[in-house]
Amino acid sequence: MINGLNLLFQFLDSFAFVVLAAAGLAIIFGIMGVINLAHGEFIMLGAYATTLASVRLGLPLVAAMLVGMVVTALFGLLVERVIISGWAPNWLGQRLVGRDLMEPLYDRLADSMVATWGLSLIMVQGVRITLGNSLDQIGTPLGNIAYGGFSYSMYRVVLSGVALGVLVLAYLVFTRTEFGMRARATIQDEDTARALGVDTERTYAATFVIGSGLAGLTGALYAPTVTMVPGLGGSFLVEAFVAVVVGGPSVVLGTALAGGFLGGINALVSNLLGTTAGRIALLVTAIVMIRFLPDGITGFVERVRARRQEGGA
Amino acid sequence: MATETGAGRTDSEPSGLLGRVRGRLEGPNTIGNSRAYWAGFAVAVAALLVYPYIVGAYQASRFSLFLVYAFLGLSLSVVWGYAGVLSFGQVVFFGVAGYTFGVVSVNFATPAGITGAFLVGIGGGALVAAVLGYFMFYGGVRDVYVTIITLVSTLVLHTFMAQTAGDQWTIGEAALGGFNGMPTIPNLAFGVGGAALVISDVMFYYLVLVLLVATYLGLRVLVNSDFGRVMVAVREDEDRTRMFGYDVRRAKLLVFTLGGALAGLSGVLYAAWGNYVSPGVFELAFASLPVVWVSIGGRDTLLGAVAATVGIEFFRNSLGGEWAFVTVGALLLVSILGLPGGVVPWLDRTYRNLRGGGTTPPTETTDSTDPEVTEA
Amino acid sequence: MTDRRVGRRGFLASGSAATLAALAGCTGVPGSGGGGGGGGSGDDTITLGILEDRSGNFALVGDPKHKASLLAIEEINQNGGIDGKQIEVFDPDPQSDNQRYQELTRRAIQQEQVDALWAGYSSATREAIRPIIDREDQLYFYTTQYEGGVCDKNVFAVGPTARQQLGSVLPYLREEYGPEIYTIAADYNFGQLSADWVKVLADENDAEVIGEEFIPLSNSQFGSTINRIQEADPDFVMSMLVGANHTSFYEQKASAGLDVPIGTSTAMAQGYEHLRLDPPAMANIYAGVNYMEEIPTERNTSDGGFVDRYYEKFPDAPYLNEEAENNYFSIYMYKAAVEQAGTTNQEEVKAALESGITYGAPEAPGEEEISLVPETHHVDHHMWVMRADENHNVEAVDDRVIPETFLKDTVGCDLTEEDEETQYTPQDFYEEAG
Repeated sequence: MINGLNLLFQFLDSFAFVVLAAAGLAIIFGIMGVINLAHGEFIMLGAYATTLASVRLGLPLVAAMLVGMVVTALFGLLVERVIISGWAPNWLGQRLVGRDLMEPLYDRLADSMVATWGLSLIMVQGVRITLGNSLDQIGTPLGNIAYGGFSYSMYRVVLSGVALGVLVLAYLVFTRTEFGMRARATIQDEDTARALGVDTERTYAATFVIGSGLAGLTGALYAPTVTMVPGLGGSFLVEAFVAVVVGGPSVVLGTALAGGFLGGINALVSNLLGTTAGRIALLVTAIVMIRFLPDGITGFVERVRARRQEGGA
Repeated sequence: MATETGAGRTDSEPSGLLGRVRGRLEGPNTIGNSRAYWAGFAVAVAALLVYPYIVGAYQASRFSLFLVYAFLGLSLSVVWGYAGVLSFGQVVFFGVAGYTFGVVSVNFATPAGITGAFLVGIGGGALVAAVLGYFMFYGGVRDVYVTIITLVSTLVLHTFMAQTAGDQWTIGEAALGGFNGMPTIPNLAFGVGGAALVISDVMFYYLVLVLLVATYLGLRVLVNSDFGRVMVAVREDEDRTRMFGYDVRRAKLLVFTLGGALAGLSGVLYAAWGNYVSPGVFELAFASLPVVWVSIGGRDTLLGAVAATVGIEFFRNSLGGEWAFVTVGALLLVSILGLPGGVVPWLDRTYRNLRGGGTTPPTETTDSTDPEVTEA
Repeated sequence: MTDRRVGRRGFLASGSAATLAALAGCTGVPGSGGGGGGGGSGDDTITLGILEDRSGNFALVGDPKHKASLLAIEEINQNGGIDGKQIEVFDPDPQSDNQRYQELTRRAIQQEQVDALWAGYSSATREAIRPIIDREDQLYFYTTQYEGGVCDKNVFAVGPTARQQLGSVLPYLREEYGPEIYTIAADYNFGQLSADWVKVLADENDAEVIGEEFIPLSNSQFGSTINRIQEADPDFVMSMLVGANHTSFYEQKASAGLDVPIGTSTAMAQGYEHLRLDPPAMANIYAGVNYMEEIPTERNTSDGGFVDRYYEKFPDAPYLNEEAENNYFSIYMYKAAVEQAGTTNQEEVKAALESGITYGAPEAPGEEEISLVPETHHVDHHMWVMRADENHNVEAVDDRVIPETFLKDTVGCDLTEEDEETQYTPQDFYEEAG
C-alpha cells in the first residue's frame, strides 16, 4: 500500500542520494570533460576523514564533516596537479629533460577513465593497507520523526535539505561569481574564453578542487549511515554516473532534474515491488532516457527552446 | 589497393603467393608491415607453441585463460580503436555467450550438442550486440552516451543475473544459479558421437592459440580491406563519412555485431575453461578491464590489444599480496599518462626511429576531439 | 608452383593434425593430470592449502579464517605435527576474485599437490572451484556458513547450514515474542534459500511469515524497507542480509527508531558489527550461530583458551569470527583422520573422516565434542543464540546441539554408500517431505 508520507520521505531520501552522489562528478564532467572513475573513492575519502576526525580527534560532527570536505578538496588539488593537468610531471620534465612529459586529460574521455580507474585501485587498496578492512562507524545523529505507526530518520530528511542547499549554492556560484562566469564561458567555448583572457587552466584546477570537495562533502554526510569499508565508494558510483548523463549539459539544473526523476522512479518502484526491482528500474530508465534524450534532460529542454525561438523569429 | 608509402612496407614487394597474402594482411591500419615483423611474429608463435612443454600443464592451462581474454581485448579494439565506439559492454556479450554455452551444453551433453552450444553461444553474443547496437546507433546515440548505455547494460545484467537463484530459473537441466553461478559446464568437444574430440587442459591451450592466431590474421585482413577503411573513416569523422554517402549507422552496427561475436567467442571459451560462469563477469571491475588492456596496448592496433591483454593479465595474476592492486593501479596511471597512444604504437615508432628514416609522426593523444593522423 | 603450394598446404595440414593427435594422448607434457589418490609433496611433511581472502570484498571476514588456520597449524606443529610430520602451508591471497580462486586451486592441486584444501568464503567461490575439486578428487573443506544441501564426496562442508542457524534462533524468538515473522534477505542464492528455510521452520514452529523482502547486494539505502517493516508490524524480523552494503541497514533502522527484535544468521558473528557500529544499532539482535568470540565455553573464554591463544599470536586482529573457528576445528579433525588412517592418501583420509570423527571444538561447552556426520560430511553443531543489548554487550540466551537433518534424513544423502556431487535445495525438502 502506498502511504503518502512514506513515499514522500522515501522520495526525498532517493533524491538526496542521487543529487549528492552526482554533484561533484557533474561539475567535473560538465566543465572539464573528464570522467573521474575514482569519484566513489573521493566520497570514501571524505567519509573516512570525517570518521577519523570525529573518532580519533574528538571533533564534533559538523566540524569533522568540514574536515572531511577540506581534506578531500586538497587531495583533489593534488590529483589535479599531478594527474589531470600534468602540471607537476611537466614541471619536473622541463627541469630534468627539457620537455613536457604528458598532455592534460581535459576532454580525453577514455584516457581519463583509465587514469582515474588506476587511481581508484590505488586509493582503495592504499586505504585498506593503511587503515585496515573497516573503521568503526560514527552514529547517526538527530533521532527520528514518528508519524502513525511509522518513523523515519530525521537525519536522512535533513540530508535532502542539504542536497537542495548544495544545488542552490552551486547555482549561485555559477551565476553570481566571477569564477562561475569564467567556468560557464569555458564550458561553452574554451578557445574563445581563453582568447578573452580567461585563465582556463586555473579555472579547471579550481573546478576539480570544488568537485572533489563536493564528493568529500557527500562522503562526510553519509559517513554516519554507511559502513566504513574501503570499497564504500562503489555504491555511489552508478547513481552518480547515470544522473550526470541523464541530467545533461546544464550542471545544476540537470543534476536536480535527474535526481528528482531517477530518485522518484527508484522510490516508487522500490515502494511497490522491492529494492531489486527499484534498482533495475532506475538503470533501465537511464538507458531509455539516454536513448530518447541523448543530450540529457536539459539538453532536450535547450533544443526545444532554441527551436521555438527560431520559429518565433 | 595500393598501400601508402612511409607507413607501408620497407622492403621490396615480394612476388607470388607470399606477396599476395602479405598484401591482404598489411596496410596502413595495422602495425607491422615488413618482413622483419612477420619474422618476429613467427618466432613468437613458435615460442607459444613450445610454451607448455617448458612450463608444464598447470602453467599452460593458466596461460590459456589469458589467451581467451585476448579475444575480448580484440573485440574492443575492433569496435573502439577501429570504429570509434567506446563500449564498456563487451562483457555483456562475453557473459551472455558464456551462459548460453552453459545452458545449451548442459542440456545437450553430447559432443554434437557441445559443438552446437559453441556456435550458439557465439551467435548469442553477436545477436545481443546486434540488438543493442540497433537500439543505440539507429536511435542516433553517440559518443559518451554509447559508453554510458553499454556500462549501464552491464550493471542491469549483473543485478538481474545475481538474483536468478531459485529453482524457477532453470532452463531444461541447467540452473542459472544466480550469484553462485553455473558450475558443471562441460569441456569443449567437437565432432559427432564416437569420432569426437574432447578438449581439455593442454589441448585447450593449443585450440585457443590456433583460434587466436587465425582470428588475428583474419582481422588484419578485414581492417586493411575496403570495409576497414570505412571503419576508420567513421572513427575519424562520422559526419564527413556520412556526407560521402556511406551508411554510417549500418557500418557501426556491423562492426558492433562483429565485436559481439568476438566477445562471445571469448565468453564461450572462458566458460569451457573453468567449467563455470557467474554474474561476476558483469561486474564493473571486469567490465573496465578490456578498456584498460586496450588503452595501454594501443587501441587502434590489433597487436597492441592482444599483447596488452595477455601481458597485463599475466602480470596482474602473478602479483600476489597487498600491493598487487596498488602496483596495477600505478602501472595504469603511468602508462596512460606517459604513453597515451598505447605501448605498442610507441614501440613501433621507437623501433622505426632507431632503424633510421621513415616518417616519424609527432607524438599525439589519440583521444582529442580534433581529427588526427592515423597511426600505422 | 603447384607442387610448392600443395607442399606448403599439405605440410600445414598434416602438421596441425599431427600436433593435435599427439596431444590427444598428452602424456608428454610434464605435470599433467594430478590425482587425488596420490599423496603429498614429501614423505616427511604434509602440505595444506589455505586459500582465504585477505583483500577485496571479503577481506573483512576472510582474514580471521586465515589467521585461525595458521594458529591451528602452529599448535599442531609445536605438538609434534600429524603423525610426526610437520605441516607446511600454501596460502596465497585469492583477493576475493573467483577467477584467482580457480587458478590457485588448480595450482594447489596440480603443482603444490596439497594433501587437503581449505578455500573460499562465499558459496559462489565454492561453486567456482567445485568442478576442479571434483575432477581431481581433491579433499576439500568448505568452512563458511551457507545455505546447505551440498552432498559431494570430496566436499566436507563443516560450517553450519542455514537450517541449523535459523533453526536455533527462530524457535527461541517465536517463544519470546510471537508468531508473526517478516523476512529480509540478500537477493541471491544464500538469501533466497535461507528465506525458504525460514518458511519451513515457521511451519514447524507454529509461526507465520507475513512478509518477505529481497535486497540486492549492491544496495545500501534501506528507507523503504524500514517503512515496509513498520507497516507489517511483525513480532520479530528474520534478517539474512550479507555484505558491507547491507550492514548499513542496522545503523539506518536504529536512527529511524525501529526497535523490533531481529533474529539473524549472518550479522555479528562474521563481520562483528556490534564492535564496528555505535550502540544501539545492534540492540535486540539475536544471532543464531555455532560460534562467536563471546561464546561462554571453557575452551573458548577461559585463561589460555581459544580467544587468548588467538590474540597472543595475532595481537592486532580485530575479531575472532564464526568461520575462523570452523577452520580451526576442521584442521584438527583432519589431523585426527590422518592419524586414524595412518596415511595422507586422500581417498583413505576421506574414508577415515567418514568413520565418525569427533573433536572438542571451542563452540562446545565443557567436555562435549562435536561430530562430523559420516553420511553427509556435515557437522552436528552446538548452536548458540547470542543477544546484543543496548550497549552492544553480547550474551548467550540459549544453546543446544542441532544436528544436520536436511541431507541426512529428508533427502537421504549417504556418501558412505553412494558417491554424489549434488546440491539440494529446500524445494527438494518440500518434495521429499510430501
